[in-house]
Amino acid sequence: MKRLLVAAAAAVVAGTIPAPSQAQPAGDPIRPIVLLTQPQAALPQEYQAAELIAAAWKQLGLQVQIRPLPSQQFSQIVWYERQRWDASTWQMVGRPERSDPDELTYNLFLSANIANGYNFVGYKNPEYDKLANAQRQELDLNKRKALIIQLQEMINKDQPYGFMVHPKNVVAFNRAVWDEKSVIDQAGIGARNTWTWLNITPLTAQKDIILNSVSVPTNLNPFNISGAQGSWAAEIVWDRLMRIGPDGLAKPWAASEVTRPDPLTVDVKLRAGMKWSDGQPVTIEDAVFSLVAPGISDKSPMYKPFVANIANVQATGADTLRITLKKPDAAFLVSSLSKLNLAPKHVWEPIFESLKGKPETAESIMEAKPVSSGPFRLTKAKLSEEIVLEANPDHWAKPKAARWIMRIQPNTEAALGALRSGEINFLSDYNGDPQLLRDLAKSDPNIKMAEALDMGFKFIAYNNRRQPFDVAAFRVALSASIDRELLAEDAWGGAAVPSNSWVSPALAFWHDQGIENRVPGGSVEAAKKILKDAGYVLVNGRLHYPAGVKETTPAFQ
Amino acid sequence: MAKLLAERLGFLLLTVWIVTTVTFLLFRLMPGDPTLAYLSPTFNEETRQTLLVSFGLDKPLWQQYLIYMANLLRGDLGTSFLQRAPVVQILGDALPNTIILTLVSLSCAYAFGIVAGAFLAFHRGGALEGAAIPAALATRSAPEFWLGMLLLAGLAFQLGWFPTGGAVDPGSSLATFRQRIGSADFWHHLVLPALTLTLYLQGLPLLLMRATMLEVMGDEFIVMARMKGLSRWSIVMRHAARNALLPVVTAFALGLGASVGGNVVVETVFAWPGVGRVLVQAVQGADYPVAQGAFILISVVLATMNTVADLAYAWLDPRVSVGARR
Repeated sequence: MKRLLVAAAAAVVAGTIPAPSQAQPAGDPIRPIVLLTQPQAALPQEYQAAELIAAAWKQLGLQVQIRPLPSQQFSQIVWYERQRWDASTWQMVGRPERSDPDELTYNLFLSANIANGYNFVGYKNPEYDKLANAQRQELDLNKRKALIIQLQEMINKDQPYGFMVHPKNVVAFNRAVWDEKSVIDQAGIGARNTWTWLNITPLTAQKDIILNSVSVPTNLNPFNISGAQGSWAAEIVWDRLMRIGPDGLAKPWAASEVTRPDPLTVDVKLRAGMKWSDGQPVTIEDAVFSLVAPGISDKSPMYKPFVANIANVQATGADTLRITLKKPDAAFLVSSLSKLNLAPKHVWEPIFESLKGKPETAESIMEAKPVSSGPFRLTKAKLSEEIVLEANPDHWAKPKAARWIMRIQPNTEAALGALRSGEINFLSDYNGDPQLLRDLAKSDPNIKMAEALDMGFKFIAYNNRRQPFDVAAFRVALSASIDRELLAEDAWGGAAVPSNSWVSPALAFWHDQGIENRVPGGSVEAAKKILKDAGYVLVNGRLHYPAGVKETTPAFQ
Repeated sequence: MAKLLAERLGFLLLTVWIVTTVTFLLFRLMPGDPTLAYLSPTFNEETRQTLLVSFGLDKPLWQQYLIYMANLLRGDLGTSFLQRAPVVQILGDALPNTIILTLVSLSCAYAFGIVAGAFLAFHRGGALEGAAIPAALATRSAPEFWLGMLLLAGLAFQLGWFPTGGAVDPGSSLATFRQRIGSADFWHHLVLPALTLTLYLQGLPLLLMRATMLEVMGDEFIVMARMKGLSRWSIVMRHAARNALLPVVTAFALGLGASVGGNVVVETVFAWPGVGRVLVQAVQGADYPVAQGAFILISVVLATMNTVADLAYAWLDPRVSVGARR
């Protein structure tokens, strides 16, 4: 008995048993938290991050269980069974049209999107809604920036997510084949982008860009949003009225001029002299058709949301058109005009007609020789082997390379070997250990590695609908306990930087500088204090709700 | 024999029907739906529903099954969710590549295995046998991806003798399979995947041939041949080996069937555009029609080759068909 008392006293001194201050009244113990993620084999970085975070949360007195689920089941639960889960790893990927923060600002946290939109965590803040709508209607860039900064601060205070990191895009190319000065770094995308494909300059007789893809791209046509790799090809085969420039801002492309006389009107002047690959001229009717077609039926479901805000499109001259919007949309040039492909009316109007009354959509059409106007033309699409594009000699922005060949190589190590042996000269899709690539670049002077910060981010989604995540102080404490530097270095092998916002530091204009260092608290100890101040109590090492609060939420099964 | 033929064909049809039904249910009952593969922030419930309708996934399960079976009987395996091309076309493009890889590697493996097995049986107890048997067992037991990566590292990355993947050089103008098979480029790309499979497959015929040969070599007719003063070569090749071949031939037929679906790993390591790789991509991307089609194709080939092996055995050894009638 004496020995037991001594041991107990020693434990109190060592802090393993709650000190007398924890005698304050407590509510129910918090149920074991289930943290969903994907299997280690599928997403090793996320899995390791989940382990590190679970360890930190356990120090707060929580019982945490990591539950890896296969990809489809994982998405099904998090996305469609929104009342069911506690917390989950998740990510938002970078895309050129996300260079404007509007899409994510609006979709991720607006309360209107809680039921089945992108606000899958169920964050509700009327003040946020007001400001998010205000930024969408604000056409003055600086005023809008101020609103976006304010919104980031608001989310920082409420922490509906536990932001983890912004990953880096890691690619490499052969600088004996390509002039490294001609490779362009696009903000938030990195070196693998449309501008590089157009500008990359050969140094030898090898004029083909030979890149790799670990996955098979999907069907290529102007009304189908292909997977990530398919999009690399689609973006240079079909022109758009505008393109996202290397600086992340929309610039006229197939349009020679784009003006906004008022918040609801966009005037477009089409570039002169453009031709389709079948020799016909690109007309203003083609441009009108391309903007209207996705919205007039359900035959282009993926592109339909991009034209949902268009009330009317009308040709106003031989080379001009006017778009009237239903409501003001500051990001329209980025999110829609830089996204919608120009499609030839003479080819696609009959196709849309023929699809009437059939279950198929325009997305399923695969032309043997697509008619396009972009800087490259599709000459071969053996989707499980390779896609071959040839430079369009008639294009006003004619590429310097002769061909763009994407090889499908599911084996990452083999792709790395192919870069060394010269079979490919641009390693565009690499999901292996970044250190291996760094070592290769060090040992082989011909290999140039390019690391660039992505505009996407990885995070822990807290289900704001469910106890205990429905209380901001609790979420803030969880976020405060996450060591983001550790995640970036350990889980992502240095190929990531800490994150605390959906606006990546890669988008310097919009990013709230230094926000990653301003997570309230910022350490496990601070997190404990936040919890204590909010009334949470440690009883025998287990975290309890504040006094009077009952656990009413069923555990995730 | 006719009755046996009818019986085996009946079993074959039953097997194929069960496989097709299980395949159908397997994919439908998996958690999650394929629209999840396309998740995007711009999607809403309406878009998702449109996609479900276009995939035919909005109908009750039994209706989907009837449509599926009716289409199957017409040879229509549906349209790929991801590639948006007919499944028959996708598999039709991949199948010749798998067949050529399978035939080349199986032929090499069995030719080598039969000769080496016969040789080792004849020289039983020698130092060569002591080294060869563990080597055959080791290559047989080594994972295919490991063997493949070793060959890639040595013969492609280091020495640069062979390409790292694919069936032809980047941007090749060889469009059809017929054009490809007549080109040196294609065969150059085939070497490493075929060598990997050959190394992996040779263990079975070698050990089988050796074991059967050892059994046959003890038979009375071999003793008689020796007493007649026949040469060693004649005894081994004309008398012993021919009698020992029966189980090896059966194993070849079964191996042919199994390899059509069993090349998944090698095809993935070497980016060889065959059925196995199509299957992996389809499963990863929840592309039900393609995965279903690939499973059905593999199962039909496997079941057919089993039936062929059964019938061949009955034809070669009448005791089998007599046994069946009992």
